[in-house]
Amino acid sequence: MNTVSRRSFLKTAGLATGAAAVTASPSVAAALQPDALETTPSGPLPHEPIVAVIRDVDLGEVTVLSGRTEKTYRDKVLVRRLLKAAEQNHTVRKQGVA
Amino acid sequence: MSSHREAPEISKDPVADNADVYAWVTPNNTVTIVSNFVPLQGPAGGPNFFEFGDDVLYSIYIDNDGDAVPEIEYQFQFTSSLQNPNTFLYNTGPIGSLTDPNWNARQNYSVVRFDAGKPPKKAGPPGPPGPGVTPGPAFAKGPTRSAELGSNLQCPPCNIGPRSTPNYDALASAAITTLPSGETVFCGQRNDPFFVDLGSIFDLGALRPVQSLHLIHPPNSGPGVNGTQALNIHTIAIQIPISMLTNDGSTPTSITGPSSVLGIWSAASRRKARMFDDHQGTFVESGPWVQVSRLGNPLFNEVVTHLGQKDDWNRGNPVDDAEYLPNVQHPELASLLPVLYPGVFPNLAALNASNAARADLVAILLTGIPNGVVPGVTYSTFTGTTYADMLRLNVAIPPAASPNSLGILGGDVAGFPNGRRLADDVVTIEIRALAGLTYPLVAPTYTPDPAASGVTQGLVPAPGQYLTAFPYVGTPYDGFDHPAS
Repeated sequence: MNTVSRRSFLKTAGLATGAAAVTASPSVAAALQPDALETTPSGPLPHEPIVAVIRDVDLGEVTVLSGRTEKTYRDKVLVRRLLKAAEQNHTVRKQGVA
Repeated sequence: MSSHREAPEISKDPVADNADVYAWVTPNNTVTIVSNFVPLQGPAGGPNFFEFGDDVLYSIYIDNDGDAVPEIEYQFQFTSSLQNPNTFLYNTGPIGSLTDPNWNARQNYSVVRFDAGKPPKKAGPPGPPGPGVTPGPAFAKGPTRSAELGSNLQCPPCNIGPRSTPNYDALASAAITTLPSGETVFCGQRNDPFFVDLGSIFDLGALRPVQSLHLIHPPNSGPGVNGTQALNIHTIAIQIPISMLTNDGSTPTSITGPSSVLGIWSAASRRKARMFDDHQGTFVESGPWVQVSRLGNPLFNEVVTHLGQKDDWNRGNPVDDAEYLPNVQHPELASLLPVLYPGVFPNLAALNASNAARADLVAILLTGIPNGVVPGVTYSTFTGTTYADMLRLNVAIPPAASPNSLGILGGDVAGFPNGRRLADDVVTIEIRALAGLTYPLVAPTYTPDPAASGVTQGLVPAPGQYLTAFPYVGTPYDGFDHPAS
C-alpha cells in the first residue's frame, strides 16, 4: 500500500467509524442537528422534569435525573450541546451547569 | 436543642427537619415510636398553618439484627388539599369533625412498610404500594417486600383557637387510626415534648442553676427556662406490636436475648432536583430520594458533630458512623466544661488531659451498653461492634412503674439510653455523662467530680404536657391563647 492509498484508506475508515457512531448513539446524532432556537416557554414545567447536570466538562460527564432515577453518562457531544445552549461554556467549566 | 435546626442546611428547611425521635416499650407488648418534624412552630401561625411537606419522604427505620442497616422501614407521605381555593381562610367556620366542610386546608397521608430480605408478596392484603414507591435511601438494596398499610388517612387540623377548633382533643382522637396490619398511627400537630434551656446552653455552655460558677460574668443563678415552651411541632407516631419488629417474630422476655435490642432512627428525604416553576409559582421535582435529615440519639448531631460535619452527617447512614467515632471519644463539650467552670471539674480536666478515649460515651451513643457494664442489674442496649448512632431499645425491659426522667442515671432501666421516653431529661443525662459521671462504667477507678452528678438544666416538663395514651404527645397549643399576652 503506497502512502497516498494508505491516507485514503485511513480517511475512508475514519468516516466509516464516524458513521457507525452516529447510528449507534442518538446523542451524537442530536449533536449534528442544527443549533437549537431560543424560544419562549410554551407552558409550565412538567410535574416531573427530566434534568441534565454536567458534572465534568473535560470528561464529558453528565447526570440525567428522570422520575426517581439518576444515571450518569460520558457523552462529550451531549455536554457540548448543553454548553452551547448555556452560552457560557467558559464560565461553567469549573462549576457544571444544570 | 435535640435536633431542631441543628445543621446549616436543614435549618433552612423546616418541614424536612427531623427534630427528635422517641421509642419506648408501651403496654400490651408494643413499641411506640414518635418522630417529630417542623420544629419551633408559633401556634398563631396563620393563615398558612403548619403541615408536613408533600414533597418530603418521612421514614422510620428499624435495625433488628445489629448491623446498623434497616430491616424494616415505615414510610409516610403526605398530600395537601384545599376544599375551597377562593378564600384566604384555613377554615370558614368551626371545625367540628374531620369531615366538616368548614375545614379548608387538609392533609392526608399514606403508610407503607418495607421489609428487607424478603421476596415481594404475591397475593393477599395488604397489597403493594403504587408504582414509583421505593424504599428510603438508607434501605439496603436487594429483595424487598413492601405493603401499603394505609392510604388517605387524615391528619387533624392545627389547633387554631376556641372558635375554630373548639373541641380539639376530639379532632385529634378521630385522627388515630388502627391499621388492618396491626399498627396504630397518628400524624399531626402536637406540643413539642422536648424541653431544653436553649438560651442558656448556647450562651457559652451556661446552665442557669450553676451559672454563678461560669467563667464569664457569672450572674445570679436561677431555674431553667424552657426554650420550646408553648411551641408546637408535627408528630409522626406509630405503635407497633413488638413481634412485628423483632428479627424472629418473637416478643422477647430475656434482656440478653439475641432479638431483644432494636436500633431505631428516623429520617427525611427530598427529591434530588427541585426547580421553581415560575408559570405556576410552585416547585417541581425529579430524581431519586436523597436524605436531608436524620435523628437517632438526641443531641448527637447537635453537640457531638462539628459545624463542618453536620450537613454530611444528615446525609449519611448509621452504618457509616465510624467516621464520627473521634467526636464521641473526645467530645468538645467535655473539654470545654473545665474551662468554662474553673475549678468545678478537676477530675474531668485530668481525664481530658490524659487523652483517654471516652469508651463510656461510645457505648451509650454508638454501640449500646453491653450486659455486665451497669453494676447490679441485668441491662443491655448492645447491638454489636458497628459504630452507629441509633436509638437502642431493649424490648424485653418492661415499662417502669415509676419512671425517672434521668433514665439509667436515675436507676430506671426503662429510660434513656434504653430507648427514649417523652419525659426523659436527655439534656441533663447527656451533660452529666459528658461531665464524666458515666466514665466509671468503663474505668471503675475513676472518681467523677461531685458536680458531674449535680449539673442540671433545671427544667421539668410542664404539668399535663403529655397524654397517658397513644399518641402520648400532648395537645398542641392553640394560636388564640399562645403566645400569652
